[in-house]
Amino acid sequence: MAQDLPREGLVAVVKRDCPTCVMASGVLGDLARLGSLTVYTQDDPSFPETVPRRLDDTTLDVSHRLKVEIVPTLIRFAGGREVGRTHGWDRGEWERLSGIAGLGRDLPETRPGCGAKNLEPGVIERLKIRFNETGLKSRRIALGDEEDEQEAMFARGWSDGLPLVPPTEERVLRMLDGTSRDPQEVLGLVPPDLAPATIEKIAVNAVMAGCKPEYLPVVLAAVEAVLEEEFAMHGVLATTMFVGPVVVVNGPVRRRIGMNTKGNALGQGNRANAAIGRALQLVIRNIGGGRPQEVDRATLGNPGKYTYCFAEDEEGSSWEPLAAERGVPPGRSAVTVFAGFGLQGVVDQKSRDPESLSRSFAGSLKAIHNIKLAPACDAMLVVCPEHHRTFKNAGWTKARLYEELYRLCEIPVAELVAGAQGIAEGRPPSLAGKTVNKFRPGGIMIVRAGGDAGMFSGIIGGWSAGGARGSLPVTKEVRS
Amino acid sequence: MADLEARGIPTVGVATTEFIEGAAAGAKSLGIDPALVFVPHPIQDRTDDELKKLADDHLEPILAMLVKN
Amino acid sequence: MTVLLDPTAERSPTVRPRLARPQSLEGLKIGILDIAKPRGDVFLRRLGERLAERGIAVTHYAKPTNTRVAPLPLRQQIAAEVDLVIEGLSD
Repeated sequence: MAQDLPREGLVAVVKRDCPTCVMASGVLGDLARLGSLTVYTQDDPSFPETVPRRLDDTTLDVSHRLKVEIVPTLIRFAGGREVGRTHGWDRGEWERLSGIAGLGRDLPETRPGCGAKNLEPGVIERLKIRFNETGLKSRRIALGDEEDEQEAMFARGWSDGLPLVPPTEERVLRMLDGTSRDPQEVLGLVPPDLAPATIEKIAVNAVMAGCKPEYLPVVLAAVEAVLEEEFAMHGVLATTMFVGPVVVVNGPVRRRIGMNTKGNALGQGNRANAAIGRALQLVIRNIGGGRPQEVDRATLGNPGKYTYCFAEDEEGSSWEPLAAERGVPPGRSAVTVFAGFGLQGVVDQKSRDPESLSRSFAGSLKAIHNIKLAPACDAMLVVCPEHHRTFKNAGWTKARLYEELYRLCEIPVAELVAGAQGIAEGRPPSLAGKTVNKFRPGGIMIVRAGGDAGMFSGIIGGWSAGGARGSLPVTKEVRS
Repeated sequence: MADLEARGIPTVGVATTEFIEGAAAGAKSLGIDPALVFVPHPIQDRTDDELKKLADDHLEPILAMLVKN
Repeated sequence: MTVLLDPTAERSPTVRPRLARPQSLEGLKIGILDIAKPRGDVFLRRLGERLAERGIAVTHYAKPTNTRVAPLPLRQQIAAEVDLVIEGLSD
């Protein structure tokens, strides 16, 4: 291909699907007759008919190498080097480059050109891949001709059990368009193998999870959050208990990427909810090497370890969003990660006042892990809109509800002692004090989510030894 | 072979030397690294005694591919 | 040819590794699968005899035809009945 470019003379890059190129085709014919002109056509090799020496650049290799952005582009070469170029139709420029006066007398002075085909979305990625200019550093794995893509990925152990989107170079490049950050930036070391999580590697897993590029910044924030030391990701992974990272999203990004805050918010059906949580799990599995029955020793685990990500229903709430509670300024998007499991439903279709409803919540909260265990773990209370309305109508702030719940979760030690209520589990009998709280201070988080109809809230239980001895929730802002 | 290994059964294949390239190509196209032992070609026109001797001679290499070394 | 980017930390080879082998043959059952090429049966039967001499439990299986992959029920049966397989004789 390199031999095609002349050492001396003019080169034009055009496409038929461009009115300016069509308009200038007469001039191109003149230039071809009067001097040396090589024309590359991006779409139809029979265009322009006015020029006998036309070269087919439908593969766009030459356009890419010449870095053409607008057609027509006219370039002058001298001594094997480019010495000048212009784009669009501009009589003055074309005459200067060609050294020929009086071009296109019946044409306007100037006319803008059109976007070059080599910059069309999808095309630019394919060209970068072909010319090895992607900057992608991940090892390439060429599948055998007889290998089915899905079976190949399953066989290599990349899957959580469900099908994956094959992470081709094109898909990963497109995914990386979702962030302006450097693909080689390392967000941290992923346990248990303590392998570096580059943005590129995260993007590969985000592709496999089914993310769109616009979800990537949320995935990155979630990965950054779980890699913070206080989240204790290694412990969360390795535990025999149930938990996995639960991701709650706040802020404008929820609407921008179409997350679900309403009906079935914690269930299936929304791509962003599903794929963002799944991407985080795949990062832990594939980059970190954390897998069930290996370092992950969970006895039962919980279905949330496939994916557990939802967005808070902030609109119309009288309570500040979770991220705001945790220090994120209004108007900014953030994720909060919490080591949690499952969903314990709280049914209350009769309470008309906040005191009664609080008691329903507290009764269920006190049962997390075991009614005999306190303190047990952290918990996230997901309050549905109808239940929230009860608090809103009574003028209860979030702080007021927290206060009430902690008060209701003080439990007499006598009820908790090992053997009490005929249950061997429980606290050592020698413990002094009258009551113990089910939760550490700050151990409960409250968010609002769910459909507008239904008086059914939910509790996401946490890990044992909550707080500084276990895993602390972490909030990270979403950066583009 | 790949199927049995995928079912958790370590497998060793025995083939004649004629099959060396074919085996390599097949393995490459499937993305696997099968355990293979090659015996000298040909097989078809050998006597029973010759075949039994081949088996005796290759028993150890075959078993070596079935245990950790 | 499909090219995928590796989602892992790249600490293992790209080709799918073989299954881990046991420490020894003690107590394990070996299946011998005849892929049905001519004369292979003599070779494989001899292997079976030599293994039996060593006190190793051997079961012989045979593909119905060389031209197709072993039928699924046969593969399932083998996987259920033995711990290791010798498959041959390809030429």
